[in-house]
Amino acid sequence: MEEPRSAVQSQKEGEGQRAESSTVANAVTDTTARPRERRAPRISDTPPPPAPPPLLQDYAPIIGKSQLDELYFLATAVRGKNVKMVNSTAVGGGVAEMLNRLVPLLDELEVHTRWEVITGGNDFFEVTKSFHNALHGAEYTLTQAAKDVFLQHNELNRQRMSFDEDVIVIHDPQPAGLIASKKDHAARWVWRCHIDLSNPNPDVWSFLKPFVEQYDATIFSSPSFARRLPVPQYLFYPCIDPLSEKNKELEQAYIQGVCDNFGIDCSRPVVTQISRFDRLKDPLGVVQAYKMAKRYVDFQLVLAGGGAADDPEGNAVLQEVNDVVGDDPDVIILNLPPWSALEINAIQRASTLVVQKSLREGFGLTVTEALWKGKPTIASAVGGIPTQIIDRLTGVLVHSVEGCAYQIRYLLTHPEFAQQLGRNGREHVKENFLMTTNVRRWLLLFRILLGAN
Amino acid sequence: MSVSTSSEIATRAATSPFEFKSAANLLRIEREQSRTLGELLRDLHTCPDSSIFQHTFRTLQEHHFIKEGFSNDFAHWAYTEIGAVGLGERLISLDVREFTNIADLRARLEGIVSDFLAQNPRARDQEAVSPFYFCSADTVVVPTEIKAHNIQEFIEGLRAVSVHSIHYHFIEARLRRELETNDFSIWLKRDLGLPGVAARLNQIDIYTSTAEGVRRQILRTLEGPLN
Repeated sequence: MEEPRSAVQSQKEGEGQRAESSTVANAVTDTTARPRERRAPRISDTPPPPAPPPLLQDYAPIIGKSQLDELYFLATAVRGKNVKMVNSTAVGGGVAEMLNRLVPLLDELEVHTRWEVITGGNDFFEVTKSFHNALHGAEYTLTQAAKDVFLQHNELNRQRMSFDEDVIVIHDPQPAGLIASKKDHAARWVWRCHIDLSNPNPDVWSFLKPFVEQYDATIFSSPSFARRLPVPQYLFYPCIDPLSEKNKELEQAYIQGVCDNFGIDCSRPVVTQISRFDRLKDPLGVVQAYKMAKRYVDFQLVLAGGGAADDPEGNAVLQEVNDVVGDDPDVIILNLPPWSALEINAIQRASTLVVQKSLREGFGLTVTEALWKGKPTIASAVGGIPTQIIDRLTGVLVHSVEGCAYQIRYLLTHPEFAQQLGRNGREHVKENFLMTTNVRRWLLLFRILLGAN
Repeated sequence: MSVSTSSEIATRAATSPFEFKSAANLLRIEREQSRTLGELLRDLHTCPDSSIFQHTFRTLQEHHFIKEGFSNDFAHWAYTEIGAVGLGERLISLDVREFTNIADLRARLEGIVSDFLAQNPRARDQEAVSPFYFCSADTVVVPTEIKAHNIQEFIEGLRAVSVHSIHYHFIEARLRRELETNDFSIWLKRDLGLPGVAARLNQIDIYTSTAEGVRRQILRTLEGPLN
C-alpha cells in the first residue's frame, strides 16, 4: 500500500515544477518592462533556496518577551500531545505557506505536529477545484460522478493514513471525508475552513455539510465566512509571518536597489497595489483612480503581481492594463515570478501608500502585509478587509474608483494623518494577524479540545 | 499624623505580593447575527454573557492601540454598518468601568438601543451593510513570573508585562471582583497602604489613551510619591 506523502516530500516536487516554469515567467517580465525608456528589470529566473524556519525566540524582538512567555505557558498543558494537520498541497497557496511555519513552531513547543498531504488523481483535484469555486458561490452542477470521485479518493487516503494522534486537523473541503475514521479513534477532530462559505452553492454545501457536522470543532477566518453548524465554531484570522521573506525587515540599500532596478523613483510619492492581474483585483479601477488623483497630486503608480505567465485570463487583463496606461512613465507595471517575495517586500516598504481596490476578496493578506509595514492603506470594503481596516483608524475603506482617487489625494496631502493610520494598522496586525497570535489560538484550542484548561 | 517620605514609600514592604497575570482568549462565533437594529435589540437580550463581555471589555483589548473613536463593537457597527450616528454616539460614550456585572451592562445596552428605536421607529428594520456577528471568547488566565513585594518592584513589573496583563488587572478586574476598582488599586490600598495613589489610578481614562498610554499614566502616578 502506498504511503501518504509527507509535506516535505511534496514540497521538493513542487520546487522542481517551479524551476521548470521559470523561463515562462521571466519572458513575461521582459515584455512588461515599461515605459520604453526604462531598462528591463533584473529578476532571478529561478526560485531561491527556502530559508530555514525561524525559532520562537526569533519573534521576541517583535512581540516581546512577555507574549512569548505566554506561549510557553499555554503549551505546558498540551506538551507531549500529538497533532496531525492534513491538507491537499504542500506547495503553493496560503494554507501550505502557513503550515510551513506553524508546524515547526508547535513542534518547538513540544506539541508534536505532523503534516500530511492527501493524494489524488487529476479527476479528484478537478472535482475539488470545482467544489472550491462552487463554495465561493460559482455556478456548478453537482453530479453523482463528482460525488463518487470525491468519496473514492477520500476513502483511499483514509485507508492509507493512521489517525492515532490526539488531535486531527483537516484543512479545507478536499480531505473533509477523512472524518469517517473518527469512530475508530479517540482523537478530537477539527475542520479548518480557509474559504468563504457565506454564499455557497447549495448542492455542494448540502453534500459536504454532513461531513462537517461530525467534527468536534470548526474554524473559520471571519464570522461572515461561517455557516450555522451544530458544532462549536472558532475564529482564527489568517496571519502573516513577520520573519518571512515577504515581511521581514529589509536594509534601506536593498529597498533602494529594488526600486532602481524597477525604475521606481523613491524621491517622489509611490502608490502601490500588489495583486495578481485578475479582474477581481480591479487593476483597471486602480489606473482610473490614479488618473483622477494625478490631476491634483504628483505620484507614481506601481501595479506589481504575478499570475499572467500561465493564466490566459491574467495575460488578457495585463494587456488591457498596458493599453489603458499607454506610455505614461509614472505607471510601473511589474509581472513578477512567484518567487519575488523579497522584491514585493521592498516595493511595499518603498511605497508611500498601498491600495487594494479588489471587487471581491478572501481575507486579503496583501492588506495585512501592507499594514504590518506601517503603510497607510486604502482598500475596498469587501471580504475580510473590513476586519483589518477599521475605517479612518487603521486605514481607509472605499467603495468606488472615485472614493479611491479622493483618498489617494487626501492621504498624500495629509501625511501626519496617513502616518497615524500606518502606525495603528501595524499595531492591529501585531495584536491580531501575526503567526505568533495564530500559534496562541492553536494552543488554546488544543487545551479546550483535550480538556487541559 | 505621620507623613510618609518618598524613601519610606519606596522601601515599604507589601503585606502580600502582587502577582501579575494575563489572559489569553480564543474567539468563538456564536449563532446570533443581527441584520437590523430590531434584531440587534433581540440578540442583545438573548446572547450569552460572554458575547456582551467580548464586544465591550475584550474588544478594548483587541484595539488597545487606538486612542480616538473606538469604544465597543456595537457602537462601531451602528456607525459604519447602519449609519445611525445618534445611536453610535450614545453607544460610544458607554464606559465599561461603570459596570461590575454583565447583567447591568447588557441592560444599559438594551436601554440605549431601545430608546433610540422608540424615537426612530423607522430605523428598526433598516438593513445593515453587513450583519453584526456575535462572538464570545474562551479565556485562559496566564500567570507570569513577575511578583512585586514593594512599589519599586511593582513599577518594574508594570514596565515588563504585556498590555494584555494591564487589561486583565486594570479593566477586566471590575467584573471579576464586582467592584468599581481594579487589581492595582486594591493592592496599593490594601497591601501597601497607599489609598491616595490607588484612587488616582482608578481615575485614569482608558478611552482617550492607548493601552501603552494607560501604562505610562499608571507609571507616572506611581512614580509621583517616590519623587
